[in-house]
Amino acid sequence: MMNTSRRAFFKTFLSAGAALVVSGSGNTTKPAEAAVHEQIKGVCLFVPTLGKASDFVELMNTSAPGNWTVHPLEGTLTDRYFIAKSLYEEAKGRANTFVGAVDPGSFAVVQAAIFDSGGTFHYITYEERNRITFSAQL
Amino acid sequence: MSSFNALPKGVTEADFTKAIKEYRALMGEDRVRTDSASLQSYSKIMCPVSEELHKPSAAMYPKTVKEIQAIVGIANKYKTPLWTISTGKNFGYGSAAPATRGQIVLDLKTMDKIIHVDEELGYCLVEPGVTYYDIQKYIKKHKMNLMISVPSPSAIVGPVGNSLDRGAGYTPYGDHFLFSCGMEVVLANGDVVRTGMGGVPNSTSWQATKWGSGPYVDGIFTQSNYGIVTKMGFWLMKTPPPGGYLPFLMKFPKVEMLPDIIKTIMPLRLSQLIPNACVVVNSLLEAACLCNYDENGKGMSRDTFYKGKGVLPPHVIQQIIEKCNIGAWSFYAAIYGTPEQVALAWKYVSGSFKAKFGNQVEIITEKEAKDDTNFEFRRQMMMGGSSLQEFTYYNWRGGGGSVWFAPVAAARPSESYKQVKIATDVLNKHGFDYLAEYIIGWREMHHIIDLLYDRTQPEETARAYKCYDELLKVFAKNGYGIYRTNPAFMEKAADTFGPEMRKIHHNLKKALDPNNILAPGKSGISLG
Repeated sequence: MMNTSRRAFFKTFLSAGAALVVSGSGNTTKPAEAAVHEQIKGVCLFVPTLGKASDFVELMNTSAPGNWTVHPLEGTLTDRYFIAKSLYEEAKGRANTFVGAVDPGSFAVVQAAIFDSGGTFHYITYEERNRITFSAQL
Repeated sequence: MSSFNALPKGVTEADFTKAIKEYRALMGEDRVRTDSASLQSYSKIMCPVSEELHKPSAAMYPKTVKEIQAIVGIANKYKTPLWTISTGKNFGYGSAAPATRGQIVLDLKTMDKIIHVDEELGYCLVEPGVTYYDIQKYIKKHKMNLMISVPSPSAIVGPVGNSLDRGAGYTPYGDHFLFSCGMEVVLANGDVVRTGMGGVPNSTSWQATKWGSGPYVDGIFTQSNYGIVTKMGFWLMKTPPPGGYLPFLMKFPKVEMLPDIIKTIMPLRLSQLIPNACVVVNSLLEAACLCNYDENGKGMSRDTFYKGKGVLPPHVIQQIIEKCNIGAWSFYAAIYGTPEQVALAWKYVSGSFKAKFGNQVEIITEKEAKDDTNFEFRRQMMMGGSSLQEFTYYNWRGGGGSVWFAPVAAARPSESYKQVKIATDVLNKHGFDYLAEYIIGWREMHHIIDLLYDRTQPEETARAYKCYDELLKVFAKNGYGIYRTNPAFMEKAADTFGPEMRKIHHNLKKALDPNNILAPGKSGISLG
């Protein structure tokens, strides 16, 4: 079971991701809307130190209902770069939301992977020193 | 208010608009971008200043030398400065951001051809967008018995950019510019120059010999803004046969042992018994590179060990050393050759350290290391493999700020420890810990100090700037220059090398790029 602060964190992060599906761009986030939630075809990356896959699935479907797939970023940072790059490439055309909750080391390579694939970010937020959430444009 | 992300200094919006129109007529809208989203990757900056100071105005993606010739023509006409990058990572030294606001990023990642790999003589000729990983894949695909020397972010960066910034790796060819051979350069006036033997039509030795005839000019195109390098050659090593590669780690328990460590290494290095650019890593950097997970799979960082304010106290550093089972110094090196050569060299190498340190040194080879994370990534790097593991240290302090301060020391025992003391004093004064490694080259040591800070905290970012500034001043006062820096400190770093050197750089710029269109401000060189 997740603690309350972590729940709040995920809720914010997912709502922001959902809001961006509507706006398509921009650096500020807006509250998610129910109508928008139904349109979500989302991909979420996470590092296992920040939560379990089941936590992410549960919270995504509660806070931002839609068709979500979650992917743990595991292995070396080199592995994580190639995993992120491959998932981002695959998500183009298939999904409309690409978000993540990662640590700074993983973020350095995820960011490089998304930039190397020609991608850009809606937002990048340091929730804490060692916890970054992001939403990339697809 | 401008409709562009930023404008170059001295260029009006009307002129900039005309220039963009001409660039687009040349390459199409897709390859000339001015929208904010497309410029994001060039605005990422890890040095401790505002992104606003280094915001680009546009990005362009040429595919051919001819296009670059046409681009410099337009740039001269409208005085639009071009900041050239290859793969654009430049971790620790400022990422892809230009030296000054408003420059157009000339992104050469779209020029990514491996033109030739010569198995017989062991060299390659590549374009700027080619990564080390691309070369590794090519070598593997063609079953060539070759390897390339790589820097730490090898999987995602390229040899052209790294070598032009005089980056270092961890193999016997670790001084990457030293092992480059031949360049093709587009000058500001549109001329295309091939250096060395490349100027001779139909030359077959462009990548086989560095010198050609007359003055050697390749060096003036490194860390500079005198031309746009569009092709570059690199020497490749033969892969050792099975049993012909012996990576090892030696752990030393006390910080004060550094002079004796260097004293023992250097004769082995000079005699080439240890042939590679080897590293001596301090305890905190070694711990930081481990800090993805601890042995129980839990996240680990500086906070795991210390929640107090200020720098880590010595007793906490000692606890980290013990908990992580690392040395106060960790020395990573390797021996290469036939199995017989390796066995013999290992006798001398291990014998030298045992004789000097007795039971105070712990010697670890692959057999003892098993699946140790740090040993594994060092093992890969010293064999020209791809690993990004080093960047785990971004998790140590958190907050996304990392800037490398990189003074060079003569590889003398006394100087090694002197630099550690100077750096530690300045870093601690500003509230930062000392995390560093020495990369030991032929007769010098690159002292790579990672100043980690929290970019989300303006106060901490400002403190990191002041700290770097003081490091630069204090090291220069002690006779030490830095080998490379980020855009925020290029001007100040250039000053430490004296007015005469700056005058030469200025005169070369005036002669080769009178309109100051190529990367003004790079290494402090500008006519503006």
